[in-house]
Amino acid sequence: MPTRRGFLAGLMASGLAPCASWADAGSPAFLAAAKVPSGAFALIGLSATGERLFEIPLPGRGHAAAAHPSRPLAVAFARRPGHFALVIDCVTGETVRRLDTPEGFHFYGHGAFSADGAMLFTTENDYETGRGMIGIWDAAGGFARLGAFPSGGVGPHELRLMPDGEALVVANGGIETHPDAGRQKLNIPTMRPNLSHLAFDGTLLDQAEPPTSWHKNSMRHITVRGDGLVAIACQWQGAMTEVPPLLATHRMGGPLAFHGFGPGAEYDLQGYLGSVAFSGSGEEIAVTGPRGGMAVVTDAEGRVIRRLDQRDICGAAPGVDGFVFTTGEGRMLADNGVTRDLAGHDCAWDNHLVPIG
Amino acid sequence: MKHVLAALLIALPLAAPAQDRAGMIRGIVEEEIVGGFAELEQAAARLVEVAGQDCTHPGLHDSYAAAFLAWARVSHLRFGPSEEENRAFALAYWPDPRGRTASAIRKMLADGNEDLLAPETYADMSIAVRGFYALDFLMHEKDLAEIGTPEYRCALVRTIVADIHGTTGELAEAWEGFAPMLTEPGADSPYRTEDEVLQVLYKSASTGLEFASDMRLGRPLGTFERPRPNWAEAYRSGLSLQLLQAAVRGAGGLAVRLAADDATLQARLKAELEDFHDSADALGDPVFASVAEPTGRFRVESLQTDLQEVREVVQGELGPALGVSAGFNSMDGD
Repeated sequence: MPTRRGFLAGLMASGLAPCASWADAGSPAFLAAAKVPSGAFALIGLSATGERLFEIPLPGRGHAAAAHPSRPLAVAFARRPGHFALVIDCVTGETVRRLDTPEGFHFYGHGAFSADGAMLFTTENDYETGRGMIGIWDAAGGFARLGAFPSGGVGPHELRLMPDGEALVVANGGIETHPDAGRQKLNIPTMRPNLSHLAFDGTLLDQAEPPTSWHKNSMRHITVRGDGLVAIACQWQGAMTEVPPLLATHRMGGPLAFHGFGPGAEYDLQGYLGSVAFSGSGEEIAVTGPRGGMAVVTDAEGRVIRRLDQRDICGAAPGVDGFVFTTGEGRMLADNGVTRDLAGHDCAWDNHLVPIG
Repeated sequence: MKHVLAALLIALPLAAPAQDRAGMIRGIVEEEIVGGFAELEQAAARLVEVAGQDCTHPGLHDSYAAAFLAWARVSHLRFGPSEEENRAFALAYWPDPRGRTASAIRKMLADGNEDLLAPETYADMSIAVRGFYALDFLMHEKDLAEIGTPEYRCALVRTIVADIHGTTGELAEAWEGFAPMLTEPGADSPYRTEDEVLQVLYKSASTGLEFASDMRLGRPLGTFERPRPNWAEAYRSGLSLQLLQAAVRGAGGLAVRLAADDATLQARLKAELEDFHDSADALGDPVFASVAEPTGRFRVESLQTDLQEVREVVQGELGPALGVSAGFNSMDGD
């Protein structure tokens, strides 16, 4: 339990005057983790046009980050199975808090703030039971651990705040892991992924599973449009001779709708999608396939519009017009039907491009 | 520019004629894959024969070890028929950090339910009670002698052995049927080009070596503060080191064949593998029990370093030579 004095001291030390905003950090449009030329890892703030606004060293390879909705704070997660996350002040570059998972838990690498920024939710593994959990942290009060509730499945990966600001949507990837066995997947034959909607008190509001024959289609990355439409990017864990559709959309209360990309496309993607984003207008969905070296853009009903061939493409986020993508080779691309290079950076962009605000 | 030239110079000798590659693939498929799974099936058939005589038969351990090692030799081939129907999992549920095999086998022995021993029933049982690791626990865990009856234990051994044989038979047949997909890539195959076949084979070799290093060796090593000798695979039967070596022969042998286009690279791979096997032969610790004391730990760590050196050649040179993308995200996603 943090004491009041400890909390105040933390607040002072962090330099987090309540008035500090993202503008003080140069108004970045995106956050991304990267490997820089020295071989070190960093969290980088990027403008809408791809300029590098700040670069903050990370102690190891990052996965995703969660951006506070108003204060210039980023929570950087290590790759799973990580036992800590860092709360970073993007103005000073300092780590103001280190979030340690309770004994027997580890992070999965994604988190989301509540709309007012008062709470942070993180996907976690209660690994002795193998149960997926959502950790709750008091972001308004020095990031004390407030508790946790079940995620509704195994292996929760990405979670998002629903547009009403009162619930979370979580992709339970279904894959059981245990830190004692590294990243080994322990339950492929019996895995059962699902998409769960959860209230902040842990109440399960809705849950959708893929059909039984596609139970190895691990739902991992998700994004939500303003009207509550969820787009889901999957990673197929079965044989490559029978890859099902990898993109699904969902509305609370309804079934999952899967959208194929046409003959052979899922095989070309090697059954693997890395990120998913809605376009700035919300009319299009983009998914990235780093293993297939391509991104696929569809309309909101999942009908393919275009395909971008780009090696090691993975990060995807809404752009002012269309999408912004990042690649493991340092490229940052804008695409609205026409693809253009925004910027090339001397670094390898990690899996995700996180929009701010 | 200098880098581009250097890259070209390195890449040039590898641009071998296509017919060489077709021959290379055919050799791998016939000898390593179809041949390897046929040997596994034959070894499992001998195991069924011996276990059928008497499950305290003195020859049981040897035929058991032979079948288990034949599995390790092909365990890196996790695509196609091995992936379909969860067949690889049905033979090998390991690592098992939550100890599911132990608790499920104990429960079966305590319950003594004969109905579960019918072959068709057993094939639908949890993978935790199937395959070589369940059999290893059942035959070699000391305190099981006090649970249930010796007759039931023996019947369970026979059931698991028969189930293993069933799976290996399916595998051998399915791989034989799948072979043309690899040797004749194109419209009728999931692999459209020879490059795609080479990539799936390369990934099997690379993943097999990674698993050998991180799991087969990494699990018993644990950390310096907390070594885990009891996390070595099949330590109860004393097969840990032999399984490691068989697995490296399988995955490493595949890598050597894949390097056939480049004699220099192939020679280096062979030399690295030889170093590894020399260290392994000289280890004198069949189950990595010595990881908890400094000298022993040093030797096991150094064996792991030998294996890392094999992996570095495979990832750093063989992968690029075969045109396998080694992207930051594509090779290491989440």
